Parts: sequence; structure tokens; C-alpha cells
Amino acid sequence: MKFKDKHIIIPFLAPGILVTLFFIVIPLYMAIRLSFFHLESYISPAKFVGLSNYIRILHEPAFWNALKNGLFYSLVCIVLQVSLGIGFALILNEQFKGKSFVRGLTLLPYILPTVVVALTWQWMLDGNVGIITVLANKIGLGRINWLETPNLAMFTVILVSVWTWTPFVTTSFLAALQTIPLDLSDAAKVDGTSSWQRFFYITLPILKPILVIIILLRGIWMFNKFDIIWIMTKGGPLRATEHLPILTYQKAFQFYDVGGGTTVATISFLFLFAVVMIYLKVFPVED
Amino acid sequence: MKKKRKPLRKVIIYGLVIFISIYSFFPMYWMFISSCRAYKELFSSVSLIPGPFSLKSYINLLSMTKYLINFKNSLWVAFFTTGITLICSILMAYVITRYRLRGKRFILHSMLFSYMFPPLLLAVPLYYIFTKLGIIDSLWGLIISHTTITLPLGVWLLWGFFKAMPFELEEAARVDGASRIKAFFMVVLPLSLPGILTAGIFSFLLSWTDYTFGLIILSSDIKKTLPVGLATMLGAHDLNWGEIMAGAFLITVPLLVIFVFVSQYFVKGLTAGAVKG
Repeated sequence: MKFKDKHIIIPFLAPGILVTLFFIVIPLYMAIRLSFFHLESYISPAKFVGLSNYIRILHEPAFWNALKNGLFYSLVCIVLQVSLGIGFALILNEQFKGKSFVRGLTLLPYILPTVVVALTWQWMLDGNVGIITVLANKIGLGRINWLETPNLAMFTVILVSVWTWTPFVTTSFLAALQTIPLDLSDAAKVDGTSSWQRFFYITLPILKPILVIIILLRGIWMFNKFDIIWIMTKGGPLRATEHLPILTYQKAFQFYDVGGGTTVATISFLFLFAVVMIYLKVFPVED
Repeated sequence: MKKKRKPLRKVIIYGLVIFISIYSFFPMYWMFISSCRAYKELFSSVSLIPGPFSLKSYINLLSMTKYLINFKNSLWVAFFTTGITLICSILMAYVITRYRLRGKRFILHSMLFSYMFPPLLLAVPLYYIFTKLGIIDSLWGLIISHTTITLPLGVWLLWGFFKAMPFELEEAARVDGASRIKAFFMVVLPLSLPGILTAGIFSFLLSWTDYTFGLIILSSDIKKTLPVGLATMLGAHDLNWGEIMAGAFLITVPLLVIFVFVSQYFVKGLTAGAVKG
């Protein structure tokens, strides 16, 4: 049954639609439009240049480096977050005292502001007196420059990203675990299966739909993640952690190359869109 | 055999639980004890045990920076973002669930679609528009920017909530002579308080913790929100890690307080896909 008195539809929809139209739809249209223009700055007149921004960007080694870094960063983050998150969820699903307290505790890294996470880890990884550096030195690894060594910087940023965003997977998976009928695993237990078998043949197949969504969302968010890398490394050292969002920011707000910046952002969006479409073809999601 | 295995299993589980707890909590512990450790020890001896205790970092932070102003800005922005988001999304989600609308699927899909936008794809044109309108470096610009993320989430979350609420309750109120608007305010809103609370918490959280939009929109020190202010303090003033950690701790406190009271709503919203990040 649907309601008939329609006079409230327009006034109820109007505020939301107007905000969406003026601050989401039109800006997105403008962003894509700006990628076909050349601007000296945000206040100078825009000159139409056709596809030349795209041609220029696709010829820049920095673009391909950023794409490669972004793919590496998001893929490794997804794999680690999902596997660690599932592991944590399985452990937290066991019987132990103080369960709800520990579950709350493990969510904390997720609610912290990214700035707090980034700065706290930077301090813990400080080259001289960072607690992790000191401990690593004590066990004979030497004084490690976590964020100043090109190859290591990406690894460090991934580690911190995994720490702060894994709880999303843990909590989602933990909630999904509660939906598995108990008699199902009990029946399997009677049949003499091991807990590994039960996990791979009962738990995972049942939770596959939710896992497909978790991986999709984490993938999208990690690919677009800007703040944590920007605060910790600014894309350095030697562009080792520079990915598409950072390249966009640098072009748009440091070099005032508005056309170039929006071009990188548009390509990045189209790329992500294509990947998501392929993913959804392979793993269909119902509403 | 079973009896022998059980205690060992218990020990392993408790061991793993303790490990996960330390792993999750240690950085926060370190942040806190670094913020109240005396200067000399902070950079000479690295000890897991707190102390020697000193409030100097907090005093320096509050006297040398615009921290309190930043705090007020953050509160202001988060408050208005949450308010605007709630008003728009409650009204929208309600109408979408209660009426046969032609563009309904389109609206819902575009809300989901917005999960995929790189924040910077929106930030660049918003900066461009705000420059043209002359509201760059203003809190209103930031509130609008935050609303572009929180509104789709609010509509999505409340749509699921209103959909699950039986229509008969409102109809009963209507039969009793209440107008549609009155039924909405007297019946629907009070009953959907948990959903509204969840949407509100997430809007507040997203706005309070945002760094990216703040970095782009705000430039002067007295306009900055906490996350942006704190990130630029590093290296800018004569500050050291003790003060930075004090600042980090003060941003975290309100979140912890809120979290203790609303963690159930938080988990509910999170599993309903209410978060972006």
C-alpha cells in the first residue's frame, strides 16, 4: 500500500534534491568539464583545449607510477584487511570473558580521526626515539627509517592503513557470523569435521555474499584514500607512495594545474568504475 | 581426548584475545602517555611505563596554538553538517519509502553510486565554485562539502530504516484524524529515533574526523578545524611530539565519550553500510 495524499512529496524532497543537485551533481559535471579546459589558476578564464589534458597526462611517467602505486597499495591493503579481519572476527566469536568490551576495544582504531592515526604512528615510528624503532633496534634490526626509505615507505603506509581500517571487516564479518544457524555447524560437528573444514565448507560459502560486498567497499575506499598517505609521506620519498589521489591534489592545489588535476581525477574515477563493473559481473550482488 | 584438548584451546583463545586487544589499543596508550610525559624523558629514555608526569605539553599546546578556536570550529562544522544532513535525509527517505515515485530507483542508485567518487573529484570543483562565490576559507563552504558525503549516507541508511517500519501505525493516526504532517511528527519521528541517531552519529563522526576537505577549503589558522590544525602544527610552530600527542588525545576524547554511549548504534550502522572510509 502506498499513500495517496501527494502534496507533501515536493516540499519533503526539495531540500535534499537541491543540495544534491547544486553540490554533488553540478560539481561533478564541472569537474569532468574542467578536464577539457586549460586554466592558469582558479580565477583565470578557462580555455577549451579538447583532449590535450588527457594526452598530456597519459604521457607522463608520474601518472603511470601513481596508478601502479595505487593499485599495489589498495590490493595489498584489501588482502591484509580482509584476511586479518576474518581472523579477528573468528577469534572474537569464541566464548571468553569481557567479550563486548574487547569487541568495542578492537573497533577503536576505526573511529579515530585519520590525522590522529597518522601522527601517532609517525611518532611511534620516529627514526630516533619512536617506540617501534627502539624495539626493532633492540631485537637487532638496526635503526630503521620507516618513512624515509623509498621501498619501505609504501610498506609502512600499508601497515598503518591495515591497522586502522581492519575493524570495518572484523565488525561486519562478526555481525554476519551471528546469522549462521547454529544447528548447521552442530550437525557438521557430529559428523566429525574439523573446525578448518567447517570454516571452509560451511561458514565461508554462507558468508560469501557479504564478503563480496566487504571486499568491494574496502577496494573502492582504499583506491580513493588520500589523507593517510598525504599526512605521513606527501607521496614521497622519491614518489614511492604517490598514487592517483595525491597526484590529483598536487596538480590541482600545488601547481594550480586545474585541468590536469581534474583529468587525473576523472581517469581515476573511470578506471575504478570499470573495475567495479567487471567485479560485479564476476560476483553479482543482489539488492 | 576431548577433555584434554579443551583447556589448551581456552589458553590459546585467551592468548589471541589479549594479543588483539594490545594490538588495537597500544597506539592510543602510547599517544596518551607521551602527551603527559616530561620533556626531557620524552626524547631521551623510551619506556613503556608512564611518567615522569607533566602537563607542560597540554599547557604549551593551548597557549601557543589556536587549538581552542580550532576545537570550536570543528564543533560548529560537525553540528551544522549533522543538522542539515538529518533534515534533508529524513524528509527524503520518508517520501521515497511512502510514495510511488518515478525517479525512486534513480535516487537510491545515485546515493550508492556516490560511494565510488574520489573525494578529490568533488573537492576540486567545489573549491572552484567557492572561489567564484567568494566563500573560500569559510566554515560554510566546509559544511557544504561535508554534506556532500554525509547526505547520501543518511538517505541510504534512513531509507532502510523507514522501509522496515510498518505503514499501519501512521494510518491508524490518520484514521484518528491527524494530518499527514502531524502523523509524521507525532508517530514516525519518535519511532525512528534509533535510525535517526545512527545517521546522526555517522554524520558527526565523518565531519569531526575529516581532513581532506578541510585541508583544501580552509587556509587561515583561525578558520581551521581540529584535524587540519593539528596536522599543520607539526613543524610549523616550535612544537614537539609531546604537544602533538596532547592535541591528538584531545580530539579523541569526545569520540571516546560518544562511542561508550552509542557503540551499539555504531555497530548497527556500520553493518548497514553507513560509513565511508
